[in-house]
Amino acid sequence: MGEEVHNRRWLGVGRSALTDSAAAATQAVTEAQTGPDPKLLIVFAAITHDTEAVLAGVTKAAPGVPVIGCTTHGEIGVGGPADGTVTVAAIGGAGLEIATRAAEHVSGRQADAGYEVAACVGDVRQPHRVLMLLTDGLVRDQESIVRGCYRALGAGTPLFGGAAADGWRMSGAYLFKDGQVLTDAVIGAAIASEAPIAVGVGHGYRTVGQPMIVTRAADGRVLTLDDRPALDVYLERLNAPPEAYTDPSAFTAFVLPRPLGVQRRSGVEARNLSTEVDLEGRTIGGGGAIDPGGLTWVMTGDEESILDAVDRVCQDARDRLEGHEPIGMLTFSCAALRAVLGDDGIQRECERLQRWAGTMPFAGFYTYGEIARNHGIDGFHNQTLAVLALS
Amino acid sequence: MAGPAESLYIQQLVELLAVVSSSPDEATAVQNAVERSAQALEAEVAAAVIDGNVVASIGFPPGAAPDDEIVAMTREQHSILYVPGLGGCPAVTASWAGSHPGHLVLARWGGPFQVEEQNLVRGMARVLELTLTMLRTLVAEHAMRESLQERQRLLEHLSAIQRAISHREDLQHILDTITDGARDLLGDEISLLWVRDEPDAGQARLASAAGTRPVDRPVVDLTAASPAGEAMVTDRVAVRHGNELQSRMLKLLGPRTVHASMAAPVHDSGVLAGALVVASCDTNRRYTAADEQTLRAFAENVSLALTDANTVVRMREAHHDPVTGLASRGLFLEQLSQQLAVADANGHTLAVLFLDLDRFKDINDSLGHAAGDQLLAVTAGRVTAQLRAGDTASRFGGDEFAVMLARVDGPQDAAAVARRIVTALAEPMRVAEQRLRVAVSVGVALSGTDGPEPTELVARADLAMYEAKAKHRGTGGYAIYCETVPGD
Repeated sequence: MGEEVHNRRWLGVGRSALTDSAAAATQAVTEAQTGPDPKLLIVFAAITHDTEAVLAGVTKAAPGVPVIGCTTHGEIGVGGPADGTVTVAAIGGAGLEIATRAAEHVSGRQADAGYEVAACVGDVRQPHRVLMLLTDGLVRDQESIVRGCYRALGAGTPLFGGAAADGWRMSGAYLFKDGQVLTDAVIGAAIASEAPIAVGVGHGYRTVGQPMIVTRAADGRVLTLDDRPALDVYLERLNAPPEAYTDPSAFTAFVLPRPLGVQRRSGVEARNLSTEVDLEGRTIGGGGAIDPGGLTWVMTGDEESILDAVDRVCQDARDRLEGHEPIGMLTFSCAALRAVLGDDGIQRECERLQRWAGTMPFAGFYTYGEIARNHGIDGFHNQTLAVLALS
Repeated sequence: MAGPAESLYIQQLVELLAVVSSSPDEATAVQNAVERSAQALEAEVAAAVIDGNVVASIGFPPGAAPDDEIVAMTREQHSILYVPGLGGCPAVTASWAGSHPGHLVLARWGGPFQVEEQNLVRGMARVLELTLTMLRTLVAEHAMRESLQERQRLLEHLSAIQRAISHREDLQHILDTITDGARDLLGDEISLLWVRDEPDAGQARLASAAGTRPVDRPVVDLTAASPAGEAMVTDRVAVRHGNELQSRMLKLLGPRTVHASMAAPVHDSGVLAGALVVASCDTNRRYTAADEQTLRAFAENVSLALTDANTVVRMREAHHDPVTGLASRGLFLEQLSQQLAVADANGHTLAVLFLDLDRFKDINDSLGHAAGDQLLAVTAGRVTAQLRAGDTASRFGGDEFAVMLARVDGPQDAAAVARRIVTALAEPMRVAEQRLRVAVSVGVALSGTDGPEPTELVARADLAMYEAKAKHRGTGGYAIYCETVPGD
């Protein structure tokens, strides 16, 4: 990458493992600012940090620079996966243009909130554009947020993003925007560039056994599969241990690495069933409505299949840059994958990302849901890796 | 038999039906249909055109949709739609008829729409037509009926029916709900639903009734002799006033003298399938245009229920053998392929058992096909009783079955299952009032380090089955495939 390109468009990554939240943020931001004219700081902070102090530390290191960010279930970056850090991606240069917008009180009006934040795309002029979204991972029906963005933008603007996490506490995930800590919110950032920007997404799971037909569904949940209680059918297919039928935490632990596959035209979509447990009603659900008549499958994956997916996603994103040299990547991986990969496995996941990144920087986090849309009108995913590559 | 792709299209149609039928008004129904059809076909653009205007669309920023281009597509003037950011996208259109005809238009980046996908879009247009007609009937009712209570009752009836359909409640229960609702709302004594068993049958049987006297095996002929027959022949609403014009069957079924009757046709997957009838014993009863529309709305709900119920049956048939309920050959091979990949990745072993019944042909020839089918069903039950939850049994055709043991610890493990199956099938079976004995020959093949293809693994089990048959002379037994089998 030549110095001239670097001055026009750059992405830098910084990370700090300091326990003092403000100091960690200041250190990470300072390290991430590797070029002139910073346009946006994207802050990924562990849930253990004091969020107000993180933002104070960010402002101290880069006053006046627009900031977005969120809490995580682990931070991804150069040097591998980490827990407890502040990891920052900074982008800047004259060839890049940024506009941000936030919407609050999202629950109950998800689509409208998505529609509102998408308006930031109207504030940028560079020809290559992506709308990046950060959502509160504890808000239900994230698909509708993405649908709202699509209604506003149409087919021409790719979408990318992730849902803020809280380290499996499930009590509160937080978003950052310019000195404010938000919850029940969504943040949109229009990233526009003079050079191509690419989005890639994919999962490493495969279907097992016969398909199951959704015979009854209501309120976004599957009541019966093949005319029997959905939860029992699903657990039986997987030879689940007896405690998974009765103990909510055993159920969560068992289904976390075993998503439900939903048949779509271009393949089988993976849905995480672990967060909305209903042992009493014997229903299953998660990641958006599955309608009556739907074909579903049980799915499994392992480290090899998930790492293969990393390769596919990175290759796809790179191909979409149309031959332009990448300057950096944002990498959002599903928090549930940590349950399959384990601590050693996520190390190898990051090594695989590093192999694709080469000398260019990358950063991201373990999410409660990934957003990526190139084609079609949907773009909210579970159990995937989503990559944004800038050139 | 439907393939996986076709099953997916049926699924998408049912999903669209569920979403659109729950819409409270026309504008929402059209917007939902547009977005849902785009989602199902993974298309970037979808639009509905009614009376030459784009009434809903997705895929363009607000105010930026090329309405003129989209309308031109419905006149087949273009087949490629330009979408900013994507370029030229192949498009497909489907029209619907009815009182307010319209078009559904979809455009997708990439290759053109397949023939099956074009059929799916046509089906979606039909679902939208049915829903719009129903919603308009509600609006028409709203305008015509003064009583708020009446309107509320119609709405409640229709939405209860729609919910029952999309929740897949028992078909008979749904049909009874509809006939009860029609009778209640129109204030008549009798409501009947006639349905043809076969599309080309010349008669229809009584599928549901409310307010009638019992009659032995009620049927109606498809002739103009009855209002139901007339509706089924003409595909229009038939109305008769005056007791002398009523059919013989209505005279039999009516609690008293019937003075007026009205029948509306019902359809299954677009094909004329029966008639919904109301009849009154009131000498002054005169059916109005509003009554006709109400009956039509109920009849359309019958059509939706029948179409949906048969969709479920077709979905099952696509994957399962109708005689035994076991997985079909296609499904078995698909699953085997997936499980082989899993076994390969996790380093464990999988086994395939190939079963052939030794005396099946004699029984089939001497006792007939019905007894043969019964024997196969009993056999299937006994085989599956020997399997674990993750294992799969399938009927391969004729008297051949295949079983996949998803995980075995070695040949002895698979052999134990084979032995259990041989023993279970050696027990006499009660079929066609006779005690029959059949024997089964079982061939066993294990996935190994050479990573055989699914068909190769089944072929190996088949070879071993022949060895078992030869070794045990058709008295039942098993053999395990090993490389030397062919020359053994």
